[in-house]
Amino acid sequence: MKKYLITFSKSLKAELSYRSAMLAGIASALLGFVIQLFLWQALLATGIRQDTSFSDMVLYILINSFMLELTRSNVATTIETAMIDGTVSMELLRPMSYKYYLLASIFGKNFYSALTRTVPILIVGLFFLSPNSCPSPVYMGLFGISALLGVLLLFEVTYVVGLLAFWIQRCWFLSWYLRGFQTFFGGTAVPLWFYPDALNTVGYFLPFRYMTFEPVNFFLQKTPLSQAAVPLFAAALWLVGLSLLDRLMWRAAMNRLAINGG
Amino acid sequence: MKYYSRLLREFFKISVRTQLIYRGTFFAGVVGQWIGYGATFATLYILVSSFDLLGGWNGSEVMVLYGLSIMSYAIGASFFFNFARNLSMRIRSGEFDASLTKPLHPFLHEVFAGGWNIGYFSHFTVSLIVIILALTQLDYHITPGRFFYLVLMVFGASLIQASALIASSTMSFFTVGSNPVLDFLVYDVKEFTNYPITVFPKGIQFILTFLLPFAFINFYPASALLGKAIPEGYPVLLPYFSPVVGVVLFALSILLWNWGLKNYKSTGS
Repeated sequence: MKKYLITFSKSLKAELSYRSAMLAGIASALLGFVIQLFLWQALLATGIRQDTSFSDMVLYILINSFMLELTRSNVATTIETAMIDGTVSMELLRPMSYKYYLLASIFGKNFYSALTRTVPILIVGLFFLSPNSCPSPVYMGLFGISALLGVLLLFEVTYVVGLLAFWIQRCWFLSWYLRGFQTFFGGTAVPLWFYPDALNTVGYFLPFRYMTFEPVNFFLQKTPLSQAAVPLFAAALWLVGLSLLDRLMWRAAMNRLAINGG
Repeated sequence: MKYYSRLLREFFKISVRTQLIYRGTFFAGVVGQWIGYGATFATLYILVSSFDLLGGWNGSEVMVLYGLSIMSYAIGASFFFNFARNLSMRIRSGEFDASLTKPLHPFLHEVFAGGWNIGYFSHFTVSLIVIILALTQLDYHITPGRFFYLVLMVFGASLIQASALIASSTMSFFTVGSNPVLDFLVYDVKEFTNYPITVFPKGIQFILTFLLPFAFINFYPASALLGKAIPEGYPVLLPYFSPVVGVVLFALSILLWNWGLKNYKSTGS
Protein backbone atom coordinates (compact mmCIF):
# COMPACT_ATOMS: atom_id res chain seq x y z
CA MET A 1 0.00 0.00 0.00
CA LYS A 2 2.82 2.39 0.94
CA LYS A 3 4.45 2.25 -2.47
CA TYR A 4 1.16 3.22 -4.11
CA LEU A 5 0.82 6.16 -1.73
CA ILE A 6 4.30 7.27 -2.74
CA THR A 7 3.36 7.03 -6.43
CA PHE A 8 0.25 9.07 -5.69
CA SER A 9 2.11 11.85 -3.90
CA LYS A 10 4.95 11.93 -6.47
CA SER A 11 2.58 12.54 -9.35
CA LEU A 12 0.63 15.02 -7.23
CA LYS A 13 3.85 16.95 -6.61
CA ALA A 14 4.74 16.93 -10.29
CA GLU A 15 1.45 18.69 -11.01
CA LEU A 16 2.00 21.33 -8.34
CA SER A 17 4.84 22.86 -10.32
CA TYR A 18 2.66 24.12 -13.18
CA ARG A 19 1.29 27.25 -11.57
CA SER A 20 0.13 29.00 -14.76
CA ALA A 21 -1.64 25.88 -15.97
CA MET A 22 -3.50 25.91 -12.67
CA LEU A 23 -4.65 29.50 -13.12
CA ALA A 24 -5.76 28.78 -16.69
CA GLY A 25 -7.62 25.72 -15.42
CA ILE A 26 -9.44 27.77 -12.77
CA ALA A 27 -10.45 30.44 -15.29
CA SER A 28 -11.69 27.81 -17.69
CA ALA A 29 -13.65 25.93 -15.02
CA LEU A 30 -15.25 29.11 -13.70
CA LEU A 31 -16.32 30.34 -17.12
CA GLY A 32 -17.74 26.95 -18.08
CA PHE A 33 -19.65 26.83 -14.81
CA VAL A 34 -21.12 30.31 -15.26
CA ILE A 35 -22.26 29.44 -18.80
CA GLN A 36 -23.96 26.31 -17.46
CA LEU A 37 -25.68 28.37 -14.75
CA PHE A 38 -27.14 30.76 -17.34
CA LEU A 39 -28.23 27.84 -19.48
CA TRP A 40 -30.09 26.14 -16.64
CA GLN A 41 -31.55 29.37 -15.40
CA ALA A 42 -33.07 30.00 -18.84
CA LEU A 43 -34.33 26.41 -19.15
CA LEU A 44 -35.87 26.20 -15.69
CA ALA A 45 -37.48 29.64 -16.11
CA THR A 46 -39.81 28.06 -18.68
CA GLY A 47 -41.45 26.25 -15.74
CA ILE A 48 -42.10 23.18 -17.89
CA ARG A 49 -40.20 20.73 -15.71
CA GLN A 50 -41.21 20.86 -12.06
CA ASP A 51 -39.07 17.85 -11.07
CA THR A 52 -35.79 19.77 -11.10
CA SER A 53 -34.77 22.84 -9.12
CA PHE A 54 -31.93 25.24 -9.86
CA SER A 55 -30.19 24.14 -6.68
CA ASP A 56 -30.39 20.51 -7.89
CA MET A 57 -28.66 21.42 -11.12
CA VAL A 58 -25.91 23.39 -9.36
CA LEU A 59 -25.15 20.30 -7.26
CA TYR A 60 -25.41 18.11 -10.35
CA ILE A 61 -22.79 20.17 -12.21
CA LEU A 62 -20.49 20.43 -9.16
CA ILE A 63 -20.39 16.71 -8.38
CA ASN A 64 -20.14 15.70 -12.01
CA SER A 65 -17.25 18.01 -12.73
CA PHE A 66 -15.30 16.92 -9.64
CA MET A 67 -15.67 13.22 -10.50
CA LEU A 68 -14.84 13.72 -14.15
CA GLU A 69 -11.78 15.79 -13.25
CA LEU A 70 -10.50 12.94 -11.09
CA THR A 71 -10.22 10.73 -14.17
CA ARG A 72 -9.46 13.47 -16.66
CA SER A 73 -5.97 12.62 -17.83
CA ASN A 74 -6.75 9.12 -18.82
CA VAL A 75 -5.03 5.79 -18.62
CA ALA A 76 -5.42 4.98 -22.31
CA THR A 77 -3.13 7.80 -23.44
CA THR A 78 -0.67 7.04 -20.63
CA ILE A 79 -0.32 3.40 -21.68
CA GLU A 80 -0.08 4.37 -25.34
CA THR A 81 2.75 6.83 -24.69
CA ALA A 82 4.56 4.32 -22.49
CA MET A 83 4.23 1.72 -25.25
CA ILE A 84 5.58 4.00 -27.96
CA ASP A 85 8.57 5.47 -26.14
CA GLY A 86 9.41 2.19 -24.42
CA THR A 87 9.11 3.44 -20.81
CA VAL A 88 6.63 0.62 -20.27
CA SER A 89 9.63 -1.71 -19.91
CA MET A 90 10.83 0.34 -16.91
CA GLU A 91 7.39 0.37 -15.39
CA LEU A 92 7.07 -3.40 -15.69
CA LEU A 93 10.31 -3.81 -13.71
CA ARG A 94 8.81 -2.13 -10.66
CA PRO A 95 7.87 -4.50 -7.85
CA MET A 96 4.24 -3.43 -8.03
CA SER A 97 1.15 -4.20 -10.02
CA TYR A 98 1.03 -2.14 -13.20
CA LYS A 99 -2.69 -1.60 -12.82
CA TYR A 100 -2.51 -0.20 -9.29
CA TYR A 101 0.60 1.76 -10.15
CA LEU A 102 -1.40 3.45 -12.92
CA LEU A 103 -4.35 3.96 -10.61
CA ALA A 104 -2.19 5.70 -8.01
CA SER A 105 -0.34 7.87 -10.49
CA ILE A 106 -3.48 8.88 -12.41
CA PHE A 107 -5.29 9.92 -9.26
CA GLY A 108 -2.24 11.76 -7.99
CA LYS A 109 -2.04 13.60 -11.26
CA ASN A 110 -5.73 14.47 -11.35
CA PHE A 111 -6.41 15.09 -7.69
CA TYR A 112 -4.80 18.49 -7.63
CA SER A 113 -6.51 19.77 -10.76
CA ALA A 114 -9.83 18.36 -9.58
CA LEU A 115 -9.48 20.33 -6.34
CA THR A 116 -8.26 23.57 -7.88
CA ARG A 117 -10.97 23.49 -10.50
CA THR A 118 -13.80 22.47 -8.21
CA VAL A 119 -13.16 24.69 -5.18
CA PRO A 120 -13.67 28.00 -7.07
CA ILE A 121 -16.89 26.80 -8.70
CA LEU A 122 -18.00 25.40 -5.35
CA ILE A 123 -17.59 28.85 -3.81
CA VAL A 124 -19.63 30.45 -6.59
CA GLY A 125 -22.12 27.60 -6.51
CA LEU A 126 -22.75 27.95 -2.75
CA PHE A 127 -24.73 31.13 -3.41
CA PHE A 128 -27.25 29.19 -5.48
CA LEU A 129 -27.80 26.20 -3.23
CA SER A 130 -30.96 25.99 -1.23
CA PRO A 131 -30.35 25.52 2.52
CA ASN A 132 -31.91 22.04 2.63
CA SER A 133 -29.76 20.63 -0.16
CA CYS A 134 -27.54 18.57 2.14
CA PRO A 135 -28.82 14.98 2.03
CA SER A 136 -29.75 12.93 5.07
CA PRO A 137 -26.96 10.77 6.62
CA VAL A 138 -28.33 7.64 4.94
CA TYR A 139 -28.26 9.22 1.50
CA MET A 140 -24.87 10.76 2.24
CA GLY A 141 -23.55 7.26 3.00
CA LEU A 142 -25.12 5.82 -0.15
CA PHE A 143 -23.62 8.70 -2.13
CA GLY A 144 -20.19 7.97 -0.67
CA ILE A 145 -20.28 4.29 -1.60
CA SER A 146 -21.71 4.93 -5.00
CA ALA A 147 -19.21 7.72 -5.77
CA LEU A 148 -16.31 5.45 -4.82
CA LEU A 149 -17.65 2.67 -7.03
CA GLY A 150 -18.24 5.23 -9.78
CA VAL A 151 -14.70 6.59 -9.76
CA LEU A 152 -13.23 3.06 -9.71
CA LEU A 153 -15.52 2.09 -12.57
CA LEU A 154 -14.43 5.14 -14.54
CA PHE A 155 -10.82 4.09 -14.02
CA GLU A 156 -11.53 0.43 -14.82
CA VAL A 157 -13.21 1.20 -18.15
CA THR A 158 -10.40 3.48 -19.30
CA TYR A 159 -7.85 0.91 -18.16
CA VAL A 160 -9.45 -1.90 -20.19
CA VAL A 161 -9.57 0.39 -23.21
CA GLY A 162 -5.98 1.45 -22.53
CA LEU A 163 -4.80 -2.18 -22.51
CA LEU A 164 -5.86 -2.38 -26.13
CA ALA A 165 -2.75 -0.31 -26.84
CA PHE A 166 -0.75 -3.53 -26.48
CA TRP A 167 -2.49 -4.80 -29.62
CA ILE A 168 -3.21 -1.78 -31.79
CA GLN A 169 -0.27 0.45 -30.73
CA ARG A 170 -2.16 3.69 -31.24
CA CYS A 171 -5.39 4.15 -29.37
CA TRP A 172 -5.76 7.85 -28.52
CA PHE A 173 -8.98 7.86 -30.54
CA LEU A 174 -10.56 5.24 -28.28
CA SER A 175 -10.78 7.78 -25.48
CA TRP A 176 -12.88 9.97 -27.79
CA TYR A 177 -15.28 7.06 -28.33
CA LEU A 178 -15.44 6.56 -24.62
CA ARG A 179 -16.09 10.23 -23.91
CA GLY A 180 -18.86 10.25 -26.51
CA PHE A 181 -20.60 7.27 -24.91
CA GLN A 182 -20.09 8.75 -21.48
CA THR A 183 -21.72 12.04 -22.50
CA PHE A 184 -24.62 10.27 -24.16
CA PHE A 185 -25.33 7.30 -21.86
CA GLY A 186 -23.67 8.53 -18.69
CA GLY A 187 -25.64 11.76 -18.40
CA THR A 188 -22.55 13.87 -17.70
CA ALA A 189 -23.94 16.86 -19.62
CA VAL A 190 -27.69 16.37 -19.37
CA PRO A 191 -29.33 14.45 -16.49
CA LEU A 192 -30.79 11.19 -17.71
CA TRP A 193 -34.24 11.96 -16.27
CA PHE A 194 -34.70 14.34 -19.21
CA TYR A 195 -34.11 11.48 -21.67
CA PRO A 196 -36.85 9.64 -23.55
CA ASP A 197 -37.74 6.45 -21.64
CA ALA A 198 -36.32 4.03 -24.22
CA LEU A 199 -32.87 5.65 -24.13
CA ASN A 200 -32.91 5.84 -20.36
CA THR A 201 -33.64 2.10 -20.19
CA VAL A 202 -30.77 1.22 -22.54
CA GLY A 203 -28.49 3.13 -20.17
CA TYR A 204 -29.20 0.67 -17.35
CA PHE A 205 -27.40 -2.08 -19.28
CA LEU A 206 -24.24 -0.05 -19.89
CA PRO A 207 -21.62 0.90 -17.30
CA PHE A 208 -21.72 4.64 -17.98
CA ARG A 209 -24.65 5.76 -15.86
CA TYR A 210 -23.15 4.19 -12.73
CA MET A 211 -20.06 6.37 -12.95
CA THR A 212 -21.34 9.82 -12.02
CA PHE A 213 -25.08 9.90 -12.62
CA GLU A 214 -26.18 7.44 -9.94
CA PRO A 215 -23.96 8.99 -7.23
CA VAL A 216 -25.47 12.42 -7.97
CA ASN A 217 -28.92 10.86 -7.85
CA PHE A 218 -28.22 9.64 -4.32
CA PHE A 219 -26.95 13.05 -3.29
CA LEU A 220 -30.14 14.68 -4.60
CA GLN A 221 -32.19 11.96 -2.84
CA LYS A 222 -33.90 11.13 -6.12
CA THR A 223 -33.41 7.36 -5.85
CA PRO A 224 -36.03 5.78 -3.53
CA LEU A 225 -34.37 3.88 -0.67
CA SER A 226 -36.21 0.70 -1.65
CA GLN A 227 -34.33 0.72 -4.98
CA ALA A 228 -30.99 1.91 -3.65
CA ALA A 229 -29.38 -1.52 -3.99
CA VAL A 230 -29.91 -1.69 -7.76
CA PRO A 231 -27.37 0.92 -8.94
CA LEU A 232 -24.86 -0.11 -6.25
CA PHE A 233 -25.12 -3.75 -7.21
CA ALA A 234 -24.90 -2.99 -10.93
CA ALA A 235 -21.78 -0.86 -10.43
CA ALA A 236 -20.13 -3.60 -8.35
CA LEU A 237 -21.03 -6.20 -10.96
CA TRP A 238 -19.46 -4.13 -13.73
CA LEU A 239 -16.35 -3.63 -11.61
CA VAL A 240 -15.92 -7.34 -10.99
CA GLY A 241 -16.62 -8.26 -14.61
CA LEU A 242 -14.22 -5.70 -15.99
CA SER A 243 -11.43 -6.62 -13.57
CA LEU A 244 -11.71 -10.24 -14.65
CA LEU A 245 -11.54 -9.07 -18.25
CA ASP A 246 -8.52 -6.86 -17.64
CA ARG A 247 -6.69 -9.74 -15.95
CA LEU A 248 -7.23 -11.93 -19.01
CA MET A 249 -6.15 -9.13 -21.30
CA TRP A 250 -3.07 -8.45 -19.19
CA ARG A 251 -1.96 -12.06 -19.38
CA ALA A 252 -2.44 -12.14 -23.13
CA ALA A 253 -0.63 -8.82 -23.50
CA MET A 254 2.40 -9.99 -21.50
CA ASN A 255 2.70 -13.02 -23.73
CA ARG A 256 2.99 -11.00 -26.89
CA LEU A 257 4.78 -7.91 -25.64
CA ALA A 258 8.00 -7.06 -27.42
CA ILE A 259 9.73 -3.82 -26.57
CA ASN A 260 11.77 -2.15 -29.26
CA GLY A 261 14.79 -0.80 -27.45
CA GLY A 262 13.16 2.08 -25.59
CA MET B 1 -0.28 35.49 -57.02
CA LYS B 2 0.24 32.47 -59.22
CA TYR B 3 3.45 31.81 -57.30
CA TYR B 4 1.56 31.82 -53.99
CA SER B 5 -1.20 29.52 -55.12
CA ARG B 6 1.35 27.05 -56.45
CA LEU B 7 3.27 27.16 -53.18
CA LEU B 8 0.04 26.67 -51.23
CA ARG B 9 -0.85 23.65 -53.33
CA GLU B 10 2.54 22.06 -52.88
CA PHE B 11 2.67 22.65 -49.12
CA PHE B 12 -0.86 21.34 -48.60
CA LYS B 13 -0.28 18.32 -50.79
CA ILE B 14 2.62 17.31 -48.55
CA SER B 15 0.61 17.91 -45.38
CA VAL B 16 -2.34 15.82 -46.56
CA ARG B 17 0.04 13.00 -47.44
CA THR B 18 1.67 13.06 -44.00
CA GLN B 19 -1.71 12.93 -42.31
CA LEU B 20 -2.76 9.92 -44.34
CA ILE B 21 0.32 7.83 -43.55
CA TYR B 22 -1.50 6.07 -40.76
CA ARG B 23 -4.74 5.68 -42.66
CA GLY B 24 -6.43 3.34 -40.19
CA THR B 25 -5.73 5.60 -37.23
CA PHE B 26 -6.86 8.61 -39.22
CA PHE B 27 -10.28 7.15 -40.01
CA ALA B 28 -10.64 5.76 -36.50
CA GLY B 29 -10.08 9.33 -35.31
CA VAL B 30 -12.73 10.64 -37.70
CA VAL B 31 -15.22 8.12 -36.31
CA GLY B 32 -14.20 9.20 -32.80
CA GLN B 33 -15.06 12.83 -33.56
CA TRP B 34 -18.37 11.74 -35.10
CA ILE B 35 -19.29 9.90 -31.92
CA GLY B 36 -18.08 12.72 -29.66
CA TYR B 37 -19.82 15.56 -31.49
CA GLY B 38 -22.81 13.35 -32.29
CA ALA B 39 -23.29 12.77 -28.55
CA THR B 40 -23.05 16.50 -27.83
CA PHE B 41 -25.58 17.36 -30.55
CA ALA B 42 -27.95 14.62 -29.39
CA THR B 43 -27.87 15.52 -25.70
CA LEU B 44 -28.36 19.23 -26.48
CA TYR B 45 -31.34 18.36 -28.67
CA ILE B 46 -32.85 16.11 -25.97
CA LEU B 47 -32.33 18.84 -23.37
CA VAL B 48 -33.93 21.68 -25.36
CA SER B 49 -36.78 19.46 -26.55
CA SER B 50 -37.70 18.42 -23.03
CA PHE B 51 -38.09 22.11 -22.13
CA ASP B 52 -39.67 23.06 -25.52
CA LEU B 53 -37.67 26.28 -25.79
CA LEU B 54 -34.24 27.64 -24.88
CA GLY B 55 -34.15 31.44 -24.94
CA GLY B 56 -36.99 31.37 -27.49
CA TRP B 57 -35.40 28.73 -29.77
CA ASN B 58 -36.70 25.19 -30.19
CA GLY B 59 -34.58 22.04 -30.40
CA SER B 60 -34.11 22.03 -34.18
CA GLU B 61 -33.31 25.73 -34.25
CA VAL B 62 -30.64 25.25 -31.59
CA MET B 63 -29.23 22.42 -33.74
CA VAL B 64 -28.86 24.84 -36.69
CA LEU B 65 -27.23 27.34 -34.34
CA TYR B 66 -24.71 24.89 -32.88
CA GLY B 67 -24.19 23.27 -36.29
CA LEU B 68 -23.11 26.60 -37.78
CA SER B 69 -20.61 27.06 -34.96
CA ILE B 70 -19.02 23.65 -35.53
CA MET B 71 -19.07 23.93 -39.32
CA SER B 72 -17.38 27.35 -39.39
CA TYR B 73 -14.87 26.14 -36.82
CA ALA B 74 -14.09 23.13 -39.02
CA ILE B 75 -13.39 25.37 -42.01
CA GLY B 76 -11.44 28.05 -40.14
CA ALA B 77 -9.47 25.60 -38.01
CA SER B 78 -8.55 23.30 -40.90
CA PHE B 79 -6.37 26.14 -42.20
CA PHE B 80 -5.29 27.83 -38.98
CA PHE B 81 -5.38 25.34 -36.11
CA ASN B 82 -1.96 23.77 -36.74
CA PHE B 83 -0.54 27.22 -37.35
CA ALA B 84 -1.88 28.60 -34.07
CA ARG B 85 -1.25 25.52 -31.94
CA ASN B 86 2.32 24.90 -33.12
CA LEU B 87 3.55 28.48 -32.95
CA SER B 88 4.55 28.34 -29.24
CA MET B 89 6.49 25.12 -29.73
CA ARG B 90 8.13 26.36 -32.92
CA ILE B 91 9.22 29.54 -31.17
CA ARG B 92 10.63 27.63 -28.22
CA SER B 93 12.52 25.13 -30.36
CA GLY B 94 13.76 27.82 -32.72
CA GLU B 95 12.10 26.29 -35.79
CA PHE B 96 10.12 29.49 -36.16
CA ASP B 97 13.29 31.48 -36.86
CA ALA B 98 13.72 29.51 -40.06
CA SER B 99 10.45 31.02 -41.27
CA LEU B 100 12.05 34.46 -41.01
CA THR B 101 14.68 33.50 -43.56
CA LYS B 102 12.33 32.16 -46.23
CA PRO B 103 11.58 34.17 -49.39
CA LEU B 104 7.99 34.52 -48.21
CA HIS B 105 6.25 36.58 -45.55
CA PRO B 106 6.67 34.76 -42.20
CA PHE B 107 2.88 34.72 -41.62
CA LEU B 108 2.25 33.00 -44.95
CA HIS B 109 5.12 30.62 -44.41
CA GLU B 110 3.79 29.63 -41.01
CA VAL B 111 0.29 29.06 -42.41
CA PHE B 112 1.61 27.08 -45.37
CA ALA B 113 3.95 25.03 -43.21
CA GLY B 114 1.12 24.31 -40.77
CA GLY B 115 -0.62 22.64 -43.66
CA TRP B 116 -4.23 21.82 -44.16
CA ASN B 117 -5.64 19.77 -41.29
CA ILE B 118 -7.97 17.29 -42.98
CA GLY B 119 -9.02 15.89 -39.59
CA TYR B 120 -11.71 18.58 -39.52
CA PHE B 121 -13.50 16.61 -42.21
CA SER B 122 -15.29 14.89 -39.33
CA HIS B 123 -16.53 18.13 -37.72
CA PHE B 124 -17.65 19.39 -41.12
CA THR B 125 -19.62 16.29 -42.06
CA VAL B 126 -21.31 15.90 -38.69
CA SER B 127 -22.39 19.57 -38.61
CA LEU B 128 -23.57 19.42 -42.25
CA ILE B 129 -25.76 16.39 -41.51
CA VAL B 130 -27.17 18.00 -38.37
CA ILE B 131 -27.97 21.27 -40.17
CA ILE B 132 -29.70 19.43 -43.05
CA LEU B 133 -31.72 17.26 -40.64
CA ALA B 134 -32.72 20.25 -38.50
CA LEU B 135 -33.77 22.37 -41.51
CA THR B 136 -35.83 19.43 -42.82
CA GLN B 137 -37.49 19.09 -39.43
CA LEU B 138 -38.31 22.80 -39.51
CA ASP B 139 -39.88 22.43 -43.01
CA TYR B 140 -37.46 25.03 -44.22
CA HIS B 141 -37.72 25.68 -47.95
CA ILE B 142 -34.27 26.23 -49.25
CA THR B 143 -34.23 28.56 -52.27
CA PRO B 144 -31.12 29.44 -54.32
CA GLY B 145 -31.14 32.87 -52.63
CA ARG B 146 -31.24 31.38 -49.14
CA PHE B 147 -28.57 28.84 -50.05
CA PHE B 148 -26.30 31.63 -51.27
CA TYR B 149 -26.99 33.54 -48.03
CA LEU B 150 -26.08 30.49 -45.97
CA VAL B 151 -22.81 29.95 -47.83
CA LEU B 152 -21.90 33.61 -47.41
CA MET B 153 -22.67 33.48 -43.68
CA VAL B 154 -20.59 30.31 -43.16
CA PHE B 155 -17.74 32.00 -45.01
CA GLY B 156 -17.92 35.04 -42.72
CA ALA B 157 -18.16 32.85 -39.63
CA SER B 158 -15.12 30.79 -40.69
CA LEU B 159 -13.14 34.03 -40.99
CA ILE B 160 -14.16 34.96 -37.42
CA GLN B 161 -13.09 31.52 -36.18
CA ALA B 162 -9.78 31.91 -38.03
CA SER B 163 -9.26 35.39 -36.54
CA ALA B 164 -9.74 34.02 -33.03
CA LEU B 165 -7.00 31.45 -33.70
CA ILE B 166 -4.63 33.95 -35.32
CA ALA B 167 -5.18 36.69 -32.73
CA SER B 168 -4.70 34.38 -29.76
CA SER B 169 -1.61 32.77 -31.27
CA THR B 170 0.03 36.23 -31.18
CA MET B 171 0.42 35.70 -27.45
CA SER B 172 3.08 33.06 -28.20
CA PHE B 173 5.51 35.80 -29.22
CA PHE B 174 5.50 37.04 -25.64
CA THR B 175 4.98 33.97 -23.45
CA VAL B 176 7.33 31.55 -25.28
CA GLY B 177 6.56 27.90 -24.77
CA SER B 178 2.93 27.91 -23.80
CA ASN B 179 -0.12 29.92 -24.69
CA PRO B 180 -3.00 29.75 -22.22
CA VAL B 181 -4.93 32.48 -24.10
CA LEU B 182 -5.42 30.22 -27.10
CA ASP B 183 -7.29 27.49 -25.25
CA PHE B 184 -9.26 29.97 -23.20
CA LEU B 185 -10.49 31.99 -26.17
CA VAL B 186 -10.97 29.17 -28.64
CA TYR B 187 -12.54 26.58 -26.35
CA ASP B 188 -13.84 28.16 -23.15
CA VAL B 189 -15.16 31.53 -24.31
CA LYS B 190 -16.56 30.06 -27.51
CA GLU B 191 -18.81 27.82 -25.46
CA PHE B 192 -21.13 30.84 -25.42
CA THR B 193 -21.90 30.10 -29.07
CA ASN B 194 -23.46 26.72 -28.19
CA TYR B 195 -26.62 28.50 -27.05
CA PRO B 196 -28.68 31.48 -28.27
CA ILE B 197 -27.25 34.65 -26.70
CA THR B 198 -30.78 35.54 -25.55
CA VAL B 199 -30.05 33.08 -22.71
CA PHE B 200 -27.40 35.40 -21.25
CA PRO B 201 -27.69 38.74 -19.40
CA LYS B 202 -27.69 41.98 -21.41
CA GLY B 203 -24.06 42.76 -20.55
CA ILE B 204 -22.82 39.48 -22.01
CA GLN B 205 -24.99 39.96 -25.11
CA PHE B 206 -23.33 43.33 -25.60
CA ILE B 207 -19.82 41.87 -25.18
CA LEU B 208 -20.52 39.01 -27.59
CA THR B 209 -21.86 41.45 -30.19
CA PHE B 210 -19.57 44.47 -30.05
CA LEU B 211 -16.40 43.63 -28.09
CA LEU B 212 -15.72 39.96 -28.76
CA PRO B 213 -18.13 39.43 -31.65
CA PHE B 214 -18.58 35.65 -31.36
CA ALA B 215 -22.33 36.13 -31.78
CA PHE B 216 -21.64 36.83 -35.47
CA ILE B 217 -20.32 33.28 -35.88
CA ASN B 218 -23.74 31.70 -35.56
CA PHE B 219 -26.31 33.61 -33.51
CA TYR B 220 -26.90 36.50 -35.94
CA PRO B 221 -26.61 34.40 -39.11
CA ALA B 222 -29.02 31.78 -37.73
CA SER B 223 -31.48 34.33 -36.37
CA ALA B 224 -31.72 35.96 -39.81
CA LEU B 225 -32.01 32.58 -41.51
CA LEU B 226 -34.76 31.34 -39.18
CA GLY B 227 -36.41 34.70 -38.49
CA LYS B 228 -35.65 34.72 -34.75
CA ALA B 229 -35.65 37.87 -32.61
CA ILE B 230 -32.35 39.55 -31.82
CA PRO B 231 -31.74 41.40 -28.52
CA GLU B 232 -34.05 44.38 -28.07
CA GLY B 233 -32.82 47.72 -29.34
CA TYR B 234 -30.11 46.29 -31.61
CA PRO B 235 -30.14 47.41 -35.29
CA VAL B 236 -32.46 45.24 -37.39
CA LEU B 237 -29.83 44.84 -40.11
CA LEU B 238 -27.13 43.64 -37.67
CA PRO B 239 -27.58 39.94 -38.56
CA TYR B 240 -26.55 40.59 -42.16
CA PHE B 241 -23.17 41.98 -41.20
CA SER B 242 -21.47 38.65 -40.40
CA PRO B 243 -19.32 38.50 -43.56
CA VAL B 244 -18.21 42.11 -43.09
CA VAL B 245 -17.37 41.43 -39.44
CA GLY B 246 -15.47 38.34 -40.58
CA VAL B 247 -13.35 40.20 -43.14
CA VAL B 248 -12.59 43.08 -40.76
CA LEU B 249 -11.63 40.78 -37.87
CA PHE B 250 -9.48 38.64 -40.14
CA ALA B 251 -7.56 41.71 -41.33
CA LEU B 252 -7.20 43.01 -37.76
CA SER B 253 -5.95 39.67 -36.47
CA ILE B 254 -3.22 39.56 -39.14
CA LEU B 255 -2.21 43.12 -38.25
CA LEU B 256 -2.05 42.10 -34.60
CA TRP B 257 0.07 39.06 -35.47
CA ASN B 258 2.49 41.22 -37.44
CA TRP B 259 2.72 43.63 -34.55
CA GLY B 260 3.58 40.69 -32.31
CA LEU B 261 6.22 39.56 -34.81
CA LYS B 262 7.78 43.02 -34.78
CA ASN B 263 8.20 42.79 -30.99
CA TYR B 264 9.49 39.25 -31.09
CA LYS B 265 12.92 38.37 -29.77
CA SER B 266 14.25 34.98 -30.67
CA THR B 267 15.03 32.53 -27.89
CA GLY B 268 18.32 31.92 -29.65
CA SER B 269 17.93 28.17 -29.65
